[in-house]
Amino acid sequence: MNNPVLRASGLTRDFGPLRAVDGVGFSLGEGELLTVFGPNGAGKTTLLRILSGGLQPTEGVVSLRGLEQKSGDPEWYRRVGFLSHQSFIYGHLTLDENLRFFGRLFGLKDLSTRVPDRLEQVGLASRAGSPARTLSRGMRQRLALARSLLHDPEFVLLDEPYTGLDAHAASVLREVLTTLKDGRRTVVLVTHNISQGLELADRVAVQVRGRFVLLQDRAEVEVENFERTYRQRVEEAG
Amino acid sequence: MDYLRQVGALVWKDLVVELRTRERVAAMGAFTVLVGILFSFAIDPSVVQPQDIASGLIWMTVIFGGMLGLGRTFHLEEDDGAFQCVLLSPIPRDALFLGKVIANFILLTVVTALVFVVFALFFDLGFGDHPLALAAVVLLGVLGFVAVGTLFSAMSARTTMGETLLPILVFPLLIPVVIYGATATSSLLQGLPVSEVDGNIRMLAAFALVALASGAGLFRFVVEE
Repeated sequence: MNNPVLRASGLTRDFGPLRAVDGVGFSLGEGELLTVFGPNGAGKTTLLRILSGGLQPTEGVVSLRGLEQKSGDPEWYRRVGFLSHQSFIYGHLTLDENLRFFGRLFGLKDLSTRVPDRLEQVGLASRAGSPARTLSRGMRQRLALARSLLHDPEFVLLDEPYTGLDAHAASVLREVLTTLKDGRRTVVLVTHNISQGLELADRVAVQVRGRFVLLQDRAEVEVENFERTYRQRVEEAG
Repeated sequence: MDYLRQVGALVWKDLVVELRTRERVAAMGAFTVLVGILFSFAIDPSVVQPQDIASGLIWMTVIFGGMLGLGRTFHLEEDDGAFQCVLLSPIPRDALFLGKVIANFILLTVVTALVFVVFALFFDLGFGDHPLALAAVVLLGVLGFVAVGTLFSAMSARTTMGETLLPILVFPLLIPVVIYGATATSSLLQGLPVSEVDGNIRMLAAFALVALASGAGLFRFVVEE
């Protein structure tokens, strides 16, 4: 691992009596991508929400290049981009308006060039003036990707980005996600899909009942046997 | 400058979405017109002069109609989780509150103007000799109402019984707006001098200020988890 830029330690989140995330800790170097696998209800989305700054942990700390995450800290949000299986966009605004709106919230000044560039990057430039609600699921997801990368974040969180996409839309999205591995961004990807998750990963984790039951470098993973290893770990922890 | 730009972006977004959906203004507008008509039929002019009670009826119509729109403030934000993304942007939470209040204030001011037109038609009401003072009373009252309503609307949007709960939470807090707003409106409609309603205007301004400051301070505890 390069020098760690992202450090998470002892992350725990309780919802009443339910512990959704339980003592999760890991470090990632600049440009590294961690894929987190896990069954439904394992706490993966809750973990991403904590890392994004959208949810405060009950215990534990996260820091990015020494900046410790605090509730509502604008500096944290400037550094983080979050892509979920929900698109987080306004259906009644056009694609251009959606990106300009979020760009203004991030205080970006060069929106007249940045917005068309991002739409071009995700192959949606020709639909810039269409209302977002008229887009297909795959197009919405690409717009969401453009929105999450609009402010050029150094830390990117991807929560099941392939959910509900057909084969073509998934391959377009994969191409764009591959460009995230530019050595500058640190990425955490949550997915159920083992082949897609392993394809881009530098490190791999399996989360079950809130805990990381496996965390290792991608190079140490036996790809052919990983599905069996994954099932074994889930059964042991479950 | 970024702060004002962020507030402006939110106001712009809310108004554009409203202009395209007309979800809230249409509901509030239809409600206020119908209520005005019903009031005009319900009052027996041989027992009470409609002009004598018009100010109270105007304020109750504004508040009931306004609740319809304010209650939907954050439901529109649930459009594919978009508000979560707003919360993951570096906009200060007080700017977020302020943006929401300004957008709601503009919408409710339009609806309030419609209420006055409806009452002028059905109650044969003039606007008195001091339209500017009347406008100040109405705008300050609406601002206080919107500030309280926006905060509680954010709170109720996160509960299962939100829309039922909202009036129960908000109405008790609006007593000062109703008292000072209705009294001042009544005095001005009767043509009394502005000096008669000076105190009411100050109280409405103080209420709006306190509601705005408290809302701005408390909003982050409502929207953040």
